[in-house]
Amino acid sequence: MKTILCDLLGIQYPIFQGGMAWISDYSLASAVSEAGGLGIISAGNAPPDYVREQIRQTRARTNKPFGVNIMLMSPFVEDIAALVAEEKVPVVTTGAGLPTKYMKAWLEAGIKVIPVVPSTGVAKLVQRAGAAAVIAEGGESGGHIGELNTMALVPQVCDAVKLPVIAAGGIADGRGVAAAFMLGACGVQLGTRFLVAKECTVHETYKKKILAAGDIATMTTGRRLGHPVRALKSPFTHQFLKNEMQSDMSLEELEAFGSGALRRAAKEGDEKNGCFMAGQVSGLVNKEQTAKEIIEELFAEAAAKFKEAAAWVK
Amino acid sequence: MTLEKVTNLIAEKKELDPAAITAESTLESLGFDSLDTVELIMAFEEEFGITIEADETLQTVGDLVSLINSLTA
Repeated sequence: MKTILCDLLGIQYPIFQGGMAWISDYSLASAVSEAGGLGIISAGNAPPDYVREQIRQTRARTNKPFGVNIMLMSPFVEDIAALVAEEKVPVVTTGAGLPTKYMKAWLEAGIKVIPVVPSTGVAKLVQRAGAAAVIAEGGESGGHIGELNTMALVPQVCDAVKLPVIAAGGIADGRGVAAAFMLGACGVQLGTRFLVAKECTVHETYKKKILAAGDIATMTTGRRLGHPVRALKSPFTHQFLKNEMQSDMSLEELEAFGSGALRRAAKEGDEKNGCFMAGQVSGLVNKEQTAKEIIEELFAEAAAKFKEAAAWVK
Repeated sequence: MTLEKVTNLIAEKKELDPAAITAESTLESLGFDSLDTVELIMAFEEEFGITIEADETLQTVGDLVSLINSLTA
């Protein structure tokens, strides 16, 4: 399956591995890129030295295109923005804000900028600023989420911009891939499914929890803070929700309570104090495979779905 | 002049009484979250034929008016 996204980025399959803070490092990103998708290193809240090392390690393992995901709320955002331009990484994806003020420098460095957009307004704005494509990510996803869901968001973003649209949120198998293309997307981004990839270096406990999770295993916290997060239900999310409901807890205290929880889950597998961010599709993610096996299976399934569906049309 | 236009557009978007909006009103207090603000700014760009670089310093209606004035001057 080949779409305009493949030609635009020089990749074999129109699929991105979503940037996951503390999780998608060079090991996973290079494996996905080698397998023909676009692997993405997450900069998260990490300092520039860490990100530079990840870029170099990725380049040592693959000659194929890869991306860096920049979290715009990171305390190091200015330095990371300068770093990716200096390193001339092939693709930059962004999340948690408006990337427009950095885009000129990135475009001058020859970087393809592909922001995650939560609304048609933001999609139009980044189109004007020179984005190569946009990622329309629905609230089914894990981690920080927007208000709209994939089914509603993707077609509206497709109508709003002339750019290639990558659908994200709620996709974990070939059915989801096929559905995303039917909504008008020409590519997909998956996080949770790649989190359990053999090449992903996240803590084993994190993988086990996702493999065991069912349909109702995730929940959203942090609405009071204005940036909701989807994660697996756990002692941490339970306590967070309690704190959130407690009106005497200030926003600062609440932020402090959540701080470091993803790292504790991803690096230490801390089942008590960790926040295991994951998408609603966790219930569909049942086996650990290599990135190559995942990608090939997804597109074989999607192609079969398209052929089946064609039989419905006279 | 600009204040009136800006106030009317905001009032229209959020179905508010224009008289209740002053230069000191913050966009947040008028019910605009970050995504609403992006939409609003794009509406002003169309109305005034300008390009606005949205950033965190835009807090009040007055901020918007002076920015628009500086861009249309």
